[in-house]
Amino acid sequence: MHRLSPRIKIAATFLLVAVTMGFPRHPDALYWLPALVLLVLWPLARMPLGFALRRLLMAEFFILGIAILTLLAPESTPVLLSAIIKSNLCVLAMLLLIWTTPFHEILGELRRWRFPAVMLTTLALMYRYLPVLAEESARMQRARASRTFQRKRGFVWKNLSGIIGRLFIRSADRAERIYLAMCARGWR
Amino acid sequence: MHLPDGFLDTRTALLSTGVAVAGVSIALRQVRLTMQPRRVPMLGLAAAFVFAAQMLNFPVAGGTSGHLVGGVLTAVLLGPSAAVIVLACVLIVQCLMFADGGLFALGANMFNMGVVSICAGYAAFDVAKRMTRSEAMWATVFAAGFGGWFGTVAASITCAGMLALSGMAPWGLAFPAMANIHMVIGIGEGLITGLVTYAVLRSRPELVGGAQGSRAHRWFAFAGYSLLISIGLAMFVAPFASPWPDGLEYVAHKLGFESRAGEAVLVSPLPDYQLPGIGSAAAATAVAGLIGTVVVFCAAWGLAKWLVPVIGASKKNASTGN
Amino acid sequence: MNTAIEVRGLSYHYPPKGRLALDNLSFSVAADECVAVLGPNGAGKSTLLLHLNGLLPERPPAVPQIWVGGEPLTADNLDRIRQQVGLLFQDPDDQLISATVAEDVAFGPQQFGLDGPVLESLVEHSLQLAGLPGFQDREPHRLSHGEKRRVCLAGVLACKPTVLVLDEPTSDLDPRGRRDFKRLLQSLPGAKIIATHDLELVVDLCSRVLILDQGRLVAQGATVPLLSDEGLMLAHGLEKPHSLLHRHPHG
Repeated sequence: MHRLSPRIKIAATFLLVAVTMGFPRHPDALYWLPALVLLVLWPLARMPLGFALRRLLMAEFFILGIAILTLLAPESTPVLLSAIIKSNLCVLAMLLLIWTTPFHEILGELRRWRFPAVMLTTLALMYRYLPVLAEESARMQRARASRTFQRKRGFVWKNLSGIIGRLFIRSADRAERIYLAMCARGWR
Repeated sequence: MHLPDGFLDTRTALLSTGVAVAGVSIALRQVRLTMQPRRVPMLGLAAAFVFAAQMLNFPVAGGTSGHLVGGVLTAVLLGPSAAVIVLACVLIVQCLMFADGGLFALGANMFNMGVVSICAGYAAFDVAKRMTRSEAMWATVFAAGFGGWFGTVAASITCAGMLALSGMAPWGLAFPAMANIHMVIGIGEGLITGLVTYAVLRSRPELVGGAQGSRAHRWFAFAGYSLLISIGLAMFVAPFASPWPDGLEYVAHKLGFESRAGEAVLVSPLPDYQLPGIGSAAAATAVAGLIGTVVVFCAAWGLAKWLVPVIGASKKNASTGN
Repeated sequence: MNTAIEVRGLSYHYPPKGRLALDNLSFSVAADECVAVLGPNGAGKSTLLLHLNGLLPERPPAVPQIWVGGEPLTADNLDRIRQQVGLLFQDPDDQLISATVAEDVAFGPQQFGLDGPVLESLVEHSLQLAGLPGFQDREPHRLSHGEKRRVCLAGVLACKPTVLVLDEPTSDLDPRGRRDFKRLLQSLPGAKIIATHDLELVVDLCSRVLILDQGRLVAQGATVPLLSDEGLMLAHGLEKPHSLLHRHPHG
């Protein structure tokens, strides 16, 4: 499944999510259909259970947040139940796509679909520099923590905002250097 | 506010994708016309920055924590159109790399957190800053903080509208719940937005504020975004808030969704028939929202005017103390 | 002997008018020469290197100050100059911008209009030259520091430059990485200009040295005599390299 063309995988995921969304809005036997498809694809993709559960748990936070909201309206319980099942199925379908397709392949596919150039550049640079900035942010937090002895909330807030501010300044400076490096190789 | 799949029905998902695409298109046109090529890599770095900043957790009361969303902050730093593109890219990566936020809900999330939050928040920032009639640092910090709060609340309202339109919850419930929660959450977003703006202003003021472009470009952006948000409000909020109960049917008819009218029963254009008193809850929320806006505005003004010199002074003391 | 680069009377200061970052520099580099640019931090080394590629000043001056292969650097032939002068930046993370190694190496040639199988074989060849065969599908954030630098070099080599300009190429490499990178540079033909603090690298690679301090060219000459002059080296924030400890400047 990892070697399948990303186009097919993206299209299949779209289809699966779209079909699931179109199902009736109360728990129904039809829901077994996407579930079965997922059950067949899961072992084929060799997606580890831990990976799926961890990500599913992250998604569950948002799902339940909205679900609580609807719980207040007693007549919408079946709607709510179906929404929870549906969104879990959809998240699993997305996870299969993500597990089998590195983001740069998805980017290549978007490029073939003539996605706007500015968005493509932004997405590509974002994907490339996300680990770099995450690392910088972690380094700054460690440096701050090594000489912070206060646990007062106001202080932590000020500290963290300072880190975010510095992170922005560093990103801006790096963007400038990247621009120069791109020009050095003929970009205009 | 990060909607997963499964909560919106197909119609709402499609409608919101339409307005989101329109919003991003306006932003793209604006960036193409006004941004220097030198600044293009900044968009990508800013997107990575927003993502990295969202991973930092701020402690809130009782062991819980919150984090920045960053739309209005990016708008204050880079200008609203650049911010719309940055947030759209952040949401795409979160969806396609981390399964965070749904695939069919991507348009809805882009519209709420990208277009509505940024444009409403930035407009609030702009108005608030003009009202101070000051170019001092505290004025920008205050306006950014207020904008951050306002943008968060505005996005929660269209989000509630989408949920109601999808029949997940009657408007009379969704609106008060979402708006009230986000009036509280927004305080955190506003505080962080203000504090970070302050941190950047203090050491590199030249980095704050995006490309302005000519007067005509600014007017185009203003008119375009206003029109778009009005359409969004008309689709997601007006059917419930309007005094004419057939508002939704009218819109549905116009858009050719009559066949789905059966489902619209669930949307319940008149939710107060089912749950008495809920109609007044929505009205109460609207009033609370107005009062909240005034309170937050004044609080942010006072806080910024008081805090900016204080933090600056403590900084000075600390450095002389060493 | 052909000159690869010639600089005549080059001066520059950064926009908010301050002191000169570069003060009336003149020198030339021959077509197969390897020249080191030395000097303390803030001497203007990086600023000079950005000029050689036409990245600074923002608009090339009306009166050219730099000639590449006999051709003056003006606004009209900026693209050609940038193709001929390959610039390796100090931080590989600034230069390595694409999602995969292959895409990144292809970035330069693409700007010059190459694509298809020609581009693919050029990418393969450049990676081979940089000592990274088969790295095409690797992702930059999973590479080691030394590997990232080599990918950047491959990206520069893919543009087929006649002059290589390198900014601190061995900074933060471990000893083995340094040794490998030095050997790699030795194997590459063409003129090289290296700004560095790594004096042992200079002794091994470069035949000539330029010393910059506060934007001025304070000394230039053959490597060994210049680097053995302890007084000169200390005066400009440098030190005599260990391998030359027992040499006398004029001995």
